[in-house]
Amino acid sequence: MGAIELDGLTKDYGEVLAAEDLTFSVETGEIFGYLGPNGAGKTTTIRMLLGFIRPTAGTARVLGNDIRDQKALIDAKRRIGHLSDDQAFDEQATGAEILDLHAAVKGDDRREELLEMFEPPLDRRVREYSSGNVQKLGLVTAFMHDPDLVILDEPTGGLDPLIKHQFAEFLRAERDRGVTVFLSSHILSEVRRLCDRVGIIRDGRLVTVDPIESFLTRSGKVVRINSADPIPIAFVDLEGVHDLETSVPDDETADPETEFTECTFTFTGDINALLARLPDHEMVDVSIEEAPLEDVFLRFYGGGEDV
Amino acid sequence: MFEFARYDARKRVRGSVYLSIGMSLLAAFAVWAYPSYSEAMDMNQLRDAFPEPMIRAFNIETMASLEGFLSVELYMFGWIILLGLYLAYSAASIVADDIDRGRMDTLLSMPVSRQRLATERFAALGVPILLVNVVTPVVVLVSARLIGESLSAADVVALHLLSVPYLFACAGIGLLASVTFDRASIAQRVALGVTFALYLVESLLRGTEYESVGALAPMRYFDPNAVLLDGTYDLAGAAVLVGMTAVLLFASQAWFVHRDI
Repeated sequence: MGAIELDGLTKDYGEVLAAEDLTFSVETGEIFGYLGPNGAGKTTTIRMLLGFIRPTAGTARVLGNDIRDQKALIDAKRRIGHLSDDQAFDEQATGAEILDLHAAVKGDDRREELLEMFEPPLDRRVREYSSGNVQKLGLVTAFMHDPDLVILDEPTGGLDPLIKHQFAEFLRAERDRGVTVFLSSHILSEVRRLCDRVGIIRDGRLVTVDPIESFLTRSGKVVRINSADPIPIAFVDLEGVHDLETSVPDDETADPETEFTECTFTFTGDINALLARLPDHEMVDVSIEEAPLEDVFLRFYGGGEDV
Repeated sequence: MFEFARYDARKRVRGSVYLSIGMSLLAAFAVWAYPSYSEAMDMNQLRDAFPEPMIRAFNIETMASLEGFLSVELYMFGWIILLGLYLAYSAASIVADDIDRGRMDTLLSMPVSRQRLATERFAALGVPILLVNVVTPVVVLVSARLIGESLSAADVVALHLLSVPYLFACAGIGLLASVTFDRASIAQRVALGVTFALYLVESLLRGTEYESVGALAPMRYFDPNAVLLDGTYDLAGAAVLVGMTAVLLFASQAWFVHRDI
């Protein structure tokens, strides 16, 4: 049994179909990334899973409990941690008061350990908190009762790079302890650092669910080449080259129809085959970067069509 | 259990102290002002000098005794109108403000039902309601003693006790507005508007052929004049107010549970 199982989960607001017939499952003990552009339906899905909004069709089971059964879902929340995409607390309360309330309702076995890691300023009132501190306090409330499943909506927004890194380490350690993590993001690099599998959602529809490796292979890299001397365009006539753009500076004698000194393309082929060809030419600069998520969507799942 | 009630109750203590001080000052001022009024003029003439709609609106029976004077100046104005509106307004933010500011998801991610959350936070309004009704009668009785007037302590205490279900009923109106509207500012305005409209309906339609409409208004079931002037305690009215509060609370719970947030 998966920790989360969606079965035709749908939310139809009439004028907009926020989630359409979503069916997939999140296995126990994995970090599952729920990836999509802003407005794709990630938060809608999460809010249905937690019972904040009702599906208009289909259902889901969270830790084995049908989300339409409010009582069962409430009981299950003792074993669920949640961080919302717009985490907010009572502004008049101090961080400590917030944690005391959460502790009284659901327990706080791991409070101290988490506070050592995330360190929100507990004595200050929440209204004086920066967005990063609100996020840290939210992470403590999400994990303090040692949940079996955590559902995190854009968890690293507002965190500085050092804490982000710590958080990634922490999340992997949690996964290794058997905790299931369902996290949404619109940032590909975040997901690739953390996740075992990814589900892609776009315009409310599930596009694909893939292990992270095959997703990254399919999504490709952006390659930029800047060479000292003109290179024949045939050099980059390789399988897996997309969206090729080449240019030569105005002062070069090279023919822009057949040669280039600068080029960019997205590459989904074997990176070693490309690298093997580079020493044949004198390079000024070469960069290989992850493709921006929006480009990935457009290229592979363009127009919102199902794959 | 009661974690949310305790949390909210603690948060309400400070405001309740200020509220009690404010209402006590109003009470002390009303008692202190009475002798100079009654010496300066014939209080029956003063009553008659009010325009008829005002006599009706404030249900002014007599001002020729401290009881009658307090009934109008302190209880009709201070309790039925001011405190009634204050409680409706406060209750209106219980749910709507959390939704408005994105805090409701955080609260409901805890293992707590929406019924329990709404009920416990509603119950925490007992802090201002009880505190103001414990402090003010003491101030009223002591002030009356200081100006040499005698007031029935039993009647004053009874009046304040009977105001408790009245104020909870007004808070119930606010709670219903709070679960109906997502924006706290709208919920608050609706709660104020509805509560004041009910007050006007009850006071202005009294004695007309539309009097029965006022049966919906909590103000019908709490009459300071009857307690202070006649010494009669309308327990049936209090029971109606308790029932009204229960109906408003259940309706609010039902709607809150049913709706998307």
